[in-house]
Amino acid sequence: MMRSDAEPKARGALEYGTDLEAPGMLWAALVRSPVAHGRIVHMDLAGARKMPGVVAVVGPDDLRTLLPKAALEVERPVFPLQEIRYRGEPVAAVAAETLAQARRAAAAVAVEVESLRVDARIEDIFPEWPSAAAADDPHVVGHVHARHGDVDGKFRTAELVHSETYRTSGVHQVALEPHACLGEIRDGTFCIRTSTQTPFGLREDVASVLGIPEAKLLVEGSWVGGGFGGKGSAFIEPYALLLAVASGRPVKLALTYAEEFELGRTTLPAVIRLDTAVARGRIVARRVRLLLDTGASLPGRDFAVGYSIGFLLGPYRTEAYDIEGYALRTNKPPFGPHRAPFAPQSVFALESHIDGLARRLGADPIEFRKIHAWRENDRTAYDQPVGPFGLEAGLEAAARTAAVWRTGIPAGHGIGVACGFWSTGVGAGGEARLFLQPDGLVILEGEREIGNGSVVRGLSVVAQRVLGLPANAIRIQYGDTATAPFDSGVYGSRTLAALGQAVEKAARALEKTLATRVGAPQVRLETKNGQVLVVSGRRRQKLVDLLTPAERAAGGLEAHGKHYGAEKKVDASRVLEGTVYPYNDFAASVHLVEVAVDRETGHIGIVRYAAFQDVGTAVDRPAVEAQVEGGVVMGLGTALSEEMMWTPDGRLLNPGLLDYRLPRIRDAPPIHVDLIEGFAGAGPFGAKGIGEPPIIPVPAAVANAVADATGTRVFELPLTPERVARALKLL
Amino acid sequence: MTDAALALHINGQSRRFASVPDAERLLDTLRWRAGLKGTKEGCRTGDCGACTVLVGGEPTLSCLLLSREVGDEPVTTIEGVAAVPIGQAVIKAFAEAGAVQCGYCTPGFVVALAAQLGRSKSPPDVESLVDGLEGNLCRCTGYRAIERAVALARKAVQ
Repeated sequence: MMRSDAEPKARGALEYGTDLEAPGMLWAALVRSPVAHGRIVHMDLAGARKMPGVVAVVGPDDLRTLLPKAALEVERPVFPLQEIRYRGEPVAAVAAETLAQARRAAAAVAVEVESLRVDARIEDIFPEWPSAAAADDPHVVGHVHARHGDVDGKFRTAELVHSETYRTSGVHQVALEPHACLGEIRDGTFCIRTSTQTPFGLREDVASVLGIPEAKLLVEGSWVGGGFGGKGSAFIEPYALLLAVASGRPVKLALTYAEEFELGRTTLPAVIRLDTAVARGRIVARRVRLLLDTGASLPGRDFAVGYSIGFLLGPYRTEAYDIEGYALRTNKPPFGPHRAPFAPQSVFALESHIDGLARRLGADPIEFRKIHAWRENDRTAYDQPVGPFGLEAGLEAAARTAAVWRTGIPAGHGIGVACGFWSTGVGAGGEARLFLQPDGLVILEGEREIGNGSVVRGLSVVAQRVLGLPANAIRIQYGDTATAPFDSGVYGSRTLAALGQAVEKAARALEKTLATRVGAPQVRLETKNGQVLVVSGRRRQKLVDLLTPAERAAGGLEAHGKHYGAEKKVDASRVLEGTVYPYNDFAASVHLVEVAVDRETGHIGIVRYAAFQDVGTAVDRPAVEAQVEGGVVMGLGTALSEEMMWTPDGRLLNPGLLDYRLPRIRDAPPIHVDLIEGFAGAGPFGAKGIGEPPIIPVPAAVANAVADATGTRVFELPLTPERVARALKLL
Repeated sequence: MTDAALALHINGQSRRFASVPDAERLLDTLRWRAGLKGTKEGCRTGDCGACTVLVGGEPTLSCLLLSREVGDEPVTTIEGVAAVPIGQAVIKAFAEAGAVQCGYCTPGFVVALAAQLGRSKSPPDVESLVDGLEGNLCRCTGYRAIERAVALARKAVQ
């Protein structure tokens, strides 16, 4: 079944954030800091105010006048009042009649800055591995430490200890559509139209940043040209609204790609040390140390570390472990989510480590993983129940494919395997409003489809499965935060898995109401000549004849559904410092890749790829397969070429697509997608989320294939030809 | 810098725009003066292909071309491509193949593919058609569905 948004998108008929326009609209440009760390000594905005076409210029001082309650010292201040924390941080903003005029005025603002010491990299802060006293270092903004079992004892008596250090790089979401929004003040209400994954989250966030009541802020989503985690919380919206207040006119703000890269909240580099103790051929204890660059984050923001660190233990039974992570403040933009935040990086380190350990022990890498793999009745490191989990099934399927690939594999080629797991269907919850009209069903939503199909197809399919309507009789209607029911947003592999449960409940409520009215145990719906029919046994009745006069006047029958997930808990006695976060519904991924390594250049060619994905139930198979293909190729970018590179003084060297290289069409290998069903998730009809899991094992699978091909391991992402050549001692 | 009037042939029509700066790019003239926002604005550095239009029938990055450089060459945008049978076949193929997710790159792909299919009576083979899409980036699909769309579209116009 074709997606209803596909054809209009293909002919360019839908309005994205970049396309937004309003009568009398001004264009905005940002004045950005020339240094990565410093104090503003003087900034003269008067000159810019007099330039042609300029209508409003706002800086730190104006903030106090225009919005006296604006949050001035939170993690994302609208403008820094004292300290500039990263290069390119916005220090003022301009609105003018044309974009060119706004940019010219922004460029003319002279910012005098007293430079301070720049900490651009983890190595600048901790040239040596930190001692236990590191928690007191002022750069440490988050510290998490968890322990379970007799770790020291098991390491003392181990037959073998495998110790390695891995490094990962900064990677950018690069949604093709840059961030863009339009802010205006209408009858005293702050209105923002924007390309966002989370309209309701954005409302809360922007209201808090600007110091205005949420009731005074209206968020309306546009179509979204890709999100991948980058279009969530308040980012550019406060600037547009501030300029709208100052100018009294609608203001459009769209970032350039250079700004996307220099301001973006992205995955930042990390150093990961892993020590594993082995006895009788099995892992008996693990030590994990993580140094995660969290950019210009303020103290107490340890979510990135507390959530990520669990992925470094993997989907494996762990009798004893000691894991410790530090979030480090550097002079970069704050760390932000990127499709399965930090999981591909964690899994690169862990799955490279496990693979190397298996080889060292002379064990088959797939069998070695199977020995330790979580089964349904296992419990996680933090003592959460695992539940139905398709890892073992995935490993068995991968082993069969690997055996086929092994026969006749040419010299210089290698096969790599890697596992991953993800917690899907997260978020506070969501609500659904369904409206059954005489000619079809309307699902009212506050959030737009962001591309993966989870809204436009996923939610429709859930209603369709419950009610039996054909797809062309179901329509999604998008509202704003004032008219649409609340939902946490499109992120965390949650739309179908979590919000889908609200839609399912609402659809079941509709079905029950209609069954009661016709006096049947159950009914289903079909359409004939554009009319909805209610079918019970052999009886078919027109919906319109079953409606009350009030419902007929209102245009149809309305039903509501809510899904707020039960709170999950971790065993707090295992947590010595900070917070580790509970996980939700687990999905397993097993990836297999064949590579060809060029022994002269270090170039890695991806020959073929197979992904075995635990999806619970594939509610919409083509859409699920599409997520796997897309996730794999995005992961190949992380594996092979994508790397944000900073100088020691905090300048991003490659703020554009010429030097930050994404996979192109000829880089996409043949991908075999094998969906593993039967390990039911909590989502509708047993579905698990699918947006993020397919990217997770990719870099590790590629690295393991390179090790298989060459006998040499690469310890740092991405696996550029240069790094591979160095590892092979060609350079 | 001068802001003189500018005339362009867009999608078969003569369009005249008052006060167009010399430095204005075709992408901006199309989107903000002609109101043809189906042409998408991506990187503005010629690396992503989202802004692809036809100039004189050839796929062209409208972010790298000054509007004044276009001269008398006819300009065809996605709106123009969508109005002719080959364009419609390509659009249908993309939709049917599941090659449209966020859709931001799609008009650029459609224009680039339709141009190749329209060049000769018998279309090039699938491999050369795919080679012709190397300049277009997609972040959602992993390209496999786009390759399936290419095969479908080629079959449809044969």
